[in-house]
Amino acid sequence: MSPKPETAPYRTAFDRHHPAGHDERREAALSRFETLGFPTRRDEAWRFTDLKKLHRAVFAPAEGAIHAVPDLVPWRFAGDAHRIVLVNGRFARELSQVGDLPKGVIFGSLAANPALIEQTFDPTDTEGGQAFTALNAALFADGFALVVPAGVHLDVPVEIVHWGAASGRSFHLRHLIALGAGATATVIETYAGQGDYWTNAVTTVRLDAGAKLRHAKLQDESSLAIHFAQVRADLASDARYESFVLTLGGNLSRHDSAVLYGGADATCGLFGAYLLRGEQEATNATFVDHAVPSCTTTEVFKGVVDERAHGVFLGSIMVRQDAQKTNANQLNKNLLLSPRAAVDTKPQLEILADDVKCSHGATVGDLDEEALFYLEARGIPAPEARRMLIEAFAADAIDQIEDDVDLRAHFVTQVQRWLGGGAK
Amino acid sequence: MTAPDDLETVRAVTGEGYKYGFVTDIESDSLPPGLSEDTVRFISAKKGEPQWLLDWRLEAYRHWLKMENPDWAKLRIAPIDYQASSYYSAPKEGPKSLDEVDPELLKTYEKLGIPLGERAALAGVAVDAVFDSVSVATTFKAKLGELGIIFCSFGEAVREHPDLVRKYLGSVVPQGDNFFAALNSAVFSDGSFAYVPPGIRCPMELSTYFRINAAKSGQFERTLLVCDKGSYVSYLEGCTAPQRDENQLHAAVVELVALEDAQIKYSTVQNWYPGDAEGKGGIYNFVTKRGACRGARAKISWTQVETGSAITWKYPSCLLEGDDSVGEFYSVAITNNLQQADTGTKMIHLGKNTSSTIISKGISAGRGQNTYRGLVRMQPKAQNARNYTQCDSLLIGDRCGAHTVPYIEVRNPSARVEHEATTSKISDDQMFYCQQRGLSKEDALSLIVNGFCREVLKELPMEFAVEAQKLLAVSLEGSVG
Repeated sequence: MSPKPETAPYRTAFDRHHPAGHDERREAALSRFETLGFPTRRDEAWRFTDLKKLHRAVFAPAEGAIHAVPDLVPWRFAGDAHRIVLVNGRFARELSQVGDLPKGVIFGSLAANPALIEQTFDPTDTEGGQAFTALNAALFADGFALVVPAGVHLDVPVEIVHWGAASGRSFHLRHLIALGAGATATVIETYAGQGDYWTNAVTTVRLDAGAKLRHAKLQDESSLAIHFAQVRADLASDARYESFVLTLGGNLSRHDSAVLYGGADATCGLFGAYLLRGEQEATNATFVDHAVPSCTTTEVFKGVVDERAHGVFLGSIMVRQDAQKTNANQLNKNLLLSPRAAVDTKPQLEILADDVKCSHGATVGDLDEEALFYLEARGIPAPEARRMLIEAFAADAIDQIEDDVDLRAHFVTQVQRWLGGGAK
Repeated sequence: MTAPDDLETVRAVTGEGYKYGFVTDIESDSLPPGLSEDTVRFISAKKGEPQWLLDWRLEAYRHWLKMENPDWAKLRIAPIDYQASSYYSAPKEGPKSLDEVDPELLKTYEKLGIPLGERAALAGVAVDAVFDSVSVATTFKAKLGELGIIFCSFGEAVREHPDLVRKYLGSVVPQGDNFFAALNSAVFSDGSFAYVPPGIRCPMELSTYFRINAAKSGQFERTLLVCDKGSYVSYLEGCTAPQRDENQLHAAVVELVALEDAQIKYSTVQNWYPGDAEGKGGIYNFVTKRGACRGARAKISWTQVETGSAITWKYPSCLLEGDDSVGEFYSVAITNNLQQADTGTKMIHLGKNTSSTIISKGISAGRGQNTYRGLVRMQPKAQNARNYTQCDSLLIGDRCGAHTVPYIEVRNPSARVEHEATTSKISDDQMFYCQQRGLSKEDALSLIVNGFCREVLKELPMEFAVEAQKLLAVSLEGSVG
């Protein structure tokens, strides 16, 4: 079958750069991408998304020349961290400070640890339904890897800052987080940049029995950028995966979390807040597969959508026939602040077991008039009162993060920065 | 988990044969199976329709040819051979009054517990009894006529009130709306038509009983209700069908139009043959129901109790065009054995201060699959619009499924949308509590399920409320989890 016309430039890029290693797998992934083609609104998973921007231009993979990078302090986590920086999708050694790691822990560039690349591949790369995941598998050049052996507690967070600055280019990043039995870690990821580029990141998370990962992400890409990220997490029994995503940037963005329970008594918390203005469009999508009994899922997503922005939440929880004693909760609340803004939400449950407790809720509305009046009556000017209410609204999601390293403060600061700025 | 003896009871109860399964033997004047433009022309000619209606049907048919069977619903359906169905069957004799009605037919109604004349007189209900595709008796017409209310078969409406029909037919559900609506528009056999003039409150509940009788005849009912300014009508629709071994196709279209200040209450109890315990037979029910609140302060309320059919594909919807108009959807859907239901509603808010309420109760037992699929859309001009949605699912047994697929699309900041959904099973504690007070398992279950559905059942008119409670009990009695 000849490739669909719009995918052809990516075949050309693939042939020219030919990323190293695993040739057959990469070739199969590219074929998969060509078969699937770019999604359109006719695909249920993308029905709310306007992909014109991607259809119009070709984003050839960046070649890794490092541009001048500004001071990254505004985006950086203020506390102690093992830190690496990637620029245009490649590891930037001179900007990274990994420091001393506990024995056996690997943290750094994925390309620098070729033995780990194998672990990032997944059957969905070549057989799944996600075109951008397949394209990522074909084209990725680098990313980060974090491996924590069984029983090791990584007390200091690891921080990964991605800086994008190659207009018209795409960065296909592939990350690996693997925690051995009983290991714990905190990962803070930040995406920022300037210009008109496309970030396409795929993260593989594997948690062995009893492992615990806290995975926090700030997406504050350039206001022209496209940002797609997919996280697929496999959880063994008793493991916990906790994810928080703060979406502030990007012109078009999407964060997909797919969690698969492989052992009983595992839990996951998927949390997020998206604050959008201008012409931004952002989607948070979750898919949690309760394939085994006694697992617990909690989802809290809060959206603040202003000006002509468009916020989308697509939540899906699947409870399979044997997954008795499942507990799953899904909540999506939205503030719609402007007559031109739009919110779409689809919290979906698919339940095939009977002894379960599942619920979901969704709301869309404006700021509470009475709360505004209450604050104004106490002498707080209206704009300030609105800011306070918006901050408190977003904080509901931030407060879900289990915190011992001041992560919440990090995200509250970022929300305040957003509230302080107009359109970027 | 379900105790083994409970499962036994489930089987015992659900294995009970379909009570309304019998076939009346009347000579049918049927078309051989098959669908083409000629079929459409035959139906239209047979019914003596004017040219414009034939053209309308043909346009729909040509549309349909270009469409694809929808596959987005969570339903597993064996491919349907549309050429294998017969698209017209009518009782041979065209009776002019109740006295002339074939005694076999009347017996059928009696078996169903609908002695036409008496029931009508006793209950104050005007019955437009549809036996297969042609209306055979219409009562209370004179009484309604005094008020200017038109209530007749669709065919009669085309003859007697062509202007009204032409004005509103397809105005809510256009011919090419969806695959099944297009099919219906091409080959619809008959149905009901009602028009309530301005300011009139229809003094009785209008009612139609549908039956599918002749073998291999899919039924394609078309209902059109128009409530003029300030009028009110309550409409009842209920169905039972004889037992069959092969799937019967049914694709109905219901269009409601409510003008300024008008109110329409549309209640359905659907109890078609669901197939046997192995999933054999059963009706395929693909229905397009939609109401438009055209004027300010209009109100359309859908209430449905869906217990029958092998496949239910049905989304009664409201287009809230007029300012301050109101849409409601109350639904109980039960799936047992191998039944599948994909049902819900769409509330499209277009006017200012429009409000809608959705209460959906899904009950799954046996190996049934029950999906709520709904859309709430607030358009940019829907200033201060409101929606409240509650979807609850109850699972009985560990082989069934309950799914919720709500779409919420908001384009106006002053609109408020709230959606809640829960899934649960009947707890052992609840059962124990009831049983230790001396209730049998069956009574306890019936009590709990009726309580679960109360918010919907209380919306049903009296006649239906009784029937619906019986239906719930019959469908689920003993299925204790």
